[in-house]
Amino acid sequence: MGFDPGSPGSRPEPKAGAKPLRHPGIPSPKLAELLHMSTSSFFGLLARLARLCTMPQGLGPQAKPVLSAPRVAVTMVQAAGKKDRPALPLLDESELEEQFVKGHGPGGQATNKTSNCVVLKHIPSGIVVKCHQTRSVDQNRKLARQILQEKVDIFYNGENSIVYKEKQEAEKKKQERKRRAKETLEKKKLLKELRELSKNVH
Amino acid sequence: MPKNWSATGLQSLRRGGSLRPRHPFQSLRPELWTQPLTPWQLQCIQELSSRRLQRMPVQYILGEWDFQGLSLKMAPPVFIPRPETEELVEWVLEEVAQSPCAMGTQDGPLILEVGCGSGAISLSLLSQLPQSRVIAVDKGEAAICLTEENAQRLRLLDRIRIVPLDVTLEGSWAHLLPWGPVDLVVSNPPYVFHQDMEQLAPEIRSYEDPLALDGGEEGMDIIIHILALARWILKDSGSIFLEVDPRHPELVGNWLQSQPDLSLDLVAMRRDFCGRPRFLHIQRSGPRRGCPADAWPGPQPARVPG
Repeated sequence: MGFDPGSPGSRPEPKAGAKPLRHPGIPSPKLAELLHMSTSSFFGLLARLARLCTMPQGLGPQAKPVLSAPRVAVTMVQAAGKKDRPALPLLDESELEEQFVKGHGPGGQATNKTSNCVVLKHIPSGIVVKCHQTRSVDQNRKLARQILQEKVDIFYNGENSIVYKEKQEAEKKKQERKRRAKETLEKKKLLKELRELSKNVH
Repeated sequence: MPKNWSATGLQSLRRGGSLRPRHPFQSLRPELWTQPLTPWQLQCIQELSSRRLQRMPVQYILGEWDFQGLSLKMAPPVFIPRPETEELVEWVLEEVAQSPCAMGTQDGPLILEVGCGSGAISLSLLSQLPQSRVIAVDKGEAAICLTEENAQRLRLLDRIRIVPLDVTLEGSWAHLLPWGPVDLVVSNPPYVFHQDMEQLAPEIRSYEDPLALDGGEEGMDIIIHILALARWILKDSGSIFLEVDPRHPELVGNWLQSQPDLSLDLVAMRRDFCGRPRFLHIQRSGPRRGCPADAWPGPQPARVPG
């Protein structure tokens, strides 16, 4: 169990916790990642690139450097890594208002309540998100920010938002599958009819 | 639902219980809401609710709770991790990420946790800093066992050393020397003011170890020993991160100024999610003074007979 005192150093490893981002707000995928990226995230990435070039209004105040909002940076990296999609527009912590279920006395060691609901408001848009998904206040704060990121993206970018685009992509795929299934069914029908016909002939 | 449940008890048990897949209460999927409870479920509810009525904390009833995304076993009387303490871990992670090479490279950082309890702080740091190693100490036997069990559950035993140790005992630091100076000391030490102990909720008073809470007259007893420990076991420029009572930033600041030999500076204070001063960052400056020349064995020299 454990490690031994005075053990020699092991092989060098990349610095723990180093932030991998090079561009604020956009991941730089390697070629391998690009090849393996799903269609929706690839289009999303293109859309992000296009938006960065044209700098539409909605993106202005949100495209802040990562370091000014450390907690959100973690959220952003997580979102990008987890869901295999391009990064959502960053949230500026100074534009957020957070509330917890308070009234739980002195806090810290002197308190033990299990209320861990987080209410997060994005002041410029007025969007409010409530998160109570996990038992951990901290996790709920992170999740609330992720959910709020998506909602803010939709609010400002409407049809160009990543969420909307993903939905469209999913809908397209669904339609495609339906169409193919229908085709297969018709082909089977046709084959059956042909067989019937050839039977009758003989 | 049984009529004898208070609103609070019902809420907390339902919420805490429904979030756990393995617990009987997780089967509260919408489809099952209209079905009558089985006799076994009813019996479970009776047992659990009677414990809740006896003011047992939900975390002990469920036998587990989450911390920083980890699921940890909980067992009385070992101290239940508080939500604020998750922010302490966040702060440490931020500092490690921003620090110069010293902490982030191979086998780093080396962290000492004082008062590990269920292992929450140590294990969450280990799981998020893959190169880190931890020495976790606690004076309570139950805490040592629980931390071991949680470390095993999370397969982190290979990077943690769990040592029974009372840091308030004179010379206790000597037991830590073999592992060398550490990069960080992290702690959520007992910091409740002694006069406040009797005002704690029954859940806390009756079930959690009072020694994990009581910090003496000004809540500073254990904090002071942790700070004094730094002289022996903390590297130059090493950091101490503490969770404290909101009255402590000033008290700690003053105390440190009265102890110039320690070479410790109160560098930063951070508030918790309720806006209360809750966390302190103390840093060691300059070379270790007042330290016996042979306190650091370093690599063991070959033993020369005679």
